[in-house]
Amino acid sequence: MDIYFLPKDELTELIEILRETGKVFWTRERDLPSNLENIRTIRIEELDEEYIMDYRVPGLRAYDIFKSFLLPLNFKVAEYPDKKWIDVELNAKKTVLLGLKSCDLVAFSMLDAVFLEDPEFMDPFYKKNRESIVIVSSDCSRIGDSCFCNLLGNTPYATSGFDLNISEVSDGYLLESGSPLGEEILEELSLPGARKKGIEERDKRREKVLKDLEKQNSKFLKAFSDLSKLVSEGYYRDEGWEPGSTCVSCGACTNVCPVCYCFTLFDRFDKKGEKSKRFMVWDSCQYKGFSQMAGGMNPRFPMMERFKNRYYHKFFRFYERYGKYKCTGCGRCIDNCLGDIDMREVLASVKIGKVVK
Amino acid sequence: MDNIYYPRGTVVTDIKEDTPTIKTFHFELDEPLTYKAGQFMQLTVPGIGEAPFTPSSCPGEVREMEITVLQTGRVTDALHNEIKVGDRLGLRGPFGKGYPMERFAGKEILIVGGGVGLAPLRSLIYALFDRIDDFKKISICYGAKTPHDLCFRDEFDEWTKKPNTSLNLTIDNPHPDWDGTVGLVTCLLEKERIDVDIKNSYVVSCGPEVMLKFVTLKLMDVGFKANQIYLSMNRRMSCGIGKCARCNIGPYYLCKDGPDMCYEDIKDYPNVFE
Ligand SMILES: Cc1cc2nc3c(=O)[nH]c(=O)nc-3n(C[C@H](O)[C@H](O)[C@H](O)COP(=O)(O)OP(=O)(O)OC[C@H]3O[C@@H](n4cnc5c(N)ncnc54)[C@H](O)[C@@H]3O)c2cc1C
Ligand code: SF4
Ligand code: SF4
Repeated sequence: MDIYFLPKDELTELIEILRETGKVFWTRERDLPSNLENIRTIRIEELDEEYIMDYRVPGLRAYDIFKSFLLPLNFKVAEYPDKKWIDVELNAKKTVLLGLKSCDLVAFSMLDAVFLEDPEFMDPFYKKNRESIVIVSSDCSRIGDSCFCNLLGNTPYATSGFDLNISEVSDGYLLESGSPLGEEILEELSLPGARKKGIEERDKRREKVLKDLEKQNSKFLKAFSDLSKLVSEGYYRDEGWEPGSTCVSCGACTNVCPVCYCFTLFDRFDKKGEKSKRFMVWDSCQYKGFSQMAGGMNPRFPMMERFKNRYYHKFFRFYERYGKYKCTGCGRCIDNCLGDIDMREVLASVKIGKVVK
Repeated sequence: MDNIYYPRGTVVTDIKEDTPTIKTFHFELDEPLTYKAGQFMQLTVPGIGEAPFTPSSCPGEVREMEITVLQTGRVTDALHNEIKVGDRLGLRGPFGKGYPMERFAGKEILIVGGGVGLAPLRSLIYALFDRIDDFKKISICYGAKTPHDLCFRDEFDEWTKKPNTSLNLTIDNPHPDWDGTVGLVTCLLEKERIDVDIKNSYVVSCGPEVMLKFVTLKLMDVGFKANQIYLSMNRRMSCGIGKCARCNIGPYYLCKDGPDMCYEDIKDYPNVFE
């Protein structure tokens, strides 16, 4: 697709068009007095007129995740009265998401594989939500301490999966469309094509960020390239899990993960006790009750079995089924871990191969 | 658009008390459905929730179905205490792969059940009876806590009248109402007791996981190979369609790839038996 140039002061015009397209949620970097809260300064929120004039697309992924736009924390998937069983009505309004990063899009593509592209069971709620979102992504212009997307073969800029992508350059933005809808928006803005110099600058910036990532994560390169061994052999050994020993099974890691999607189906009566409602609710494989069965038997007990299972699921089981690792390298699980556990360090420490019995 | 979470309607037409803690519910389905031996259903009690069960009735294209339920928790309490004939419940399914009946054909089939574990096996037993000439022999070994905990007792005579079919029972501890074998179900599998051509047979087992573990060890001990043993890995499940991610072993999703798994396929993975 062609790339266009948007002068700095015309970003508001783009935002106005996005507002006409649907309800806009953007990521916004808040001015906090201290750097201490740094990881929490970039948040996803509903667009606020007050900030439109000064809005800049943050240079880093948001602290929150966009997963909830596709799989809300809990939502009704069925409603059934006693005698007549009816399907729930599906309605979703157009929602524009602005400021997603490459890792957020990678996460969407993984959720798509599970909920949309499974030939046997397609999730109608996910599909509806997915079809209703408009994706405006942007390049990363800096990296976070916990970012390691490069180790999973991802880049800090998106090349597909968006309707529009924004790359900041010195005097404005380069806009690239990735869908007919993106194309339409660009037409409406009637922008000049990007100049060669601008594109070169974009590529240079991209390369710089990628280099920074490579530098930051160089000592983990081997751990991640060894993952292919896990896929071919299919087993972790029992040794080397010490970096995970501080886990407290809080479930923060799975809840903030943009690709974790475990859920449970939960039924209850409405207030009058006439109709039953079924909800899909986020769950976590790190909770003790996740796999606990009637009679108290639990195949994933103690804690370390659940901890291992999360890694096993992300880097083996998911790969077996979907051909990719279930991790984008966004680092949110690292930022939020109560046990102060760094996934990279865990992977660098564990041993691959059959447990010798 | 099909809603994969939505339960189809069904009405309870009969409830039979098998044991003090096990009841068999007979359902008439709003819409007919087809299921294979070993496939399972998610049964909904309105407002309470769902639980997975393998029907205990004969598989095929059906308008009716039986599900045999041990009382043990939220959903099963409601089934036992609140549900009456005429009530409407919900069903999703069938899910899972079902038994590899074609692989079983021409072989001897040894069935090992414990407690309510005979319920899912009953559906397999009926399926085997349906084409009984295809199987050399059907040997059923079944154990329960007490004589009063044996399910389907009124059908045993009928089963043993079938050609080439045997039924061996045991109860865990001596009991005044029992003059048969006493001991865990594994005692029926001792070398001198099982009358099975080990090389030419498959074993199918269902029961609590601890039982499956000791049954498997015993079977290996008497000479069965891991690839002859099929275990019902009936773990906690919610979605039934390989998404909610709680029922896996190794690369497998028990709800999709099982729930009956060949021991050969799972034996080296972590958390196979508790
Ligand atoms: C494929 C398959 C086939 C089966 N076939 C049969 C059959 O034919 N007959 C039969 O009787 N049984 C069968 N079962 C077992 C049956 O599904 C369980 O007994 C049933 O799910 C129990 O449900 P419940 O709601 O009564 O128990 P629950 O109340 O769900 O209790 C189950 C256990 O889960 C735990 N638990 C529940 N909810 C939570 C929570 N929110 N947080 C933490 N822990 C929780 C509790 O520890 C409890 O002990 C089968 C299971 C499977 C997987
Ligand atoms: S596992 Fe951690 S780093 Fe990977 S996608 Fe999930 S939150 Fe991000
Ligand atoms: S966030 Fe950390 S402590 Fe909490 S469950 Fe995950 S790994 Fe364990």
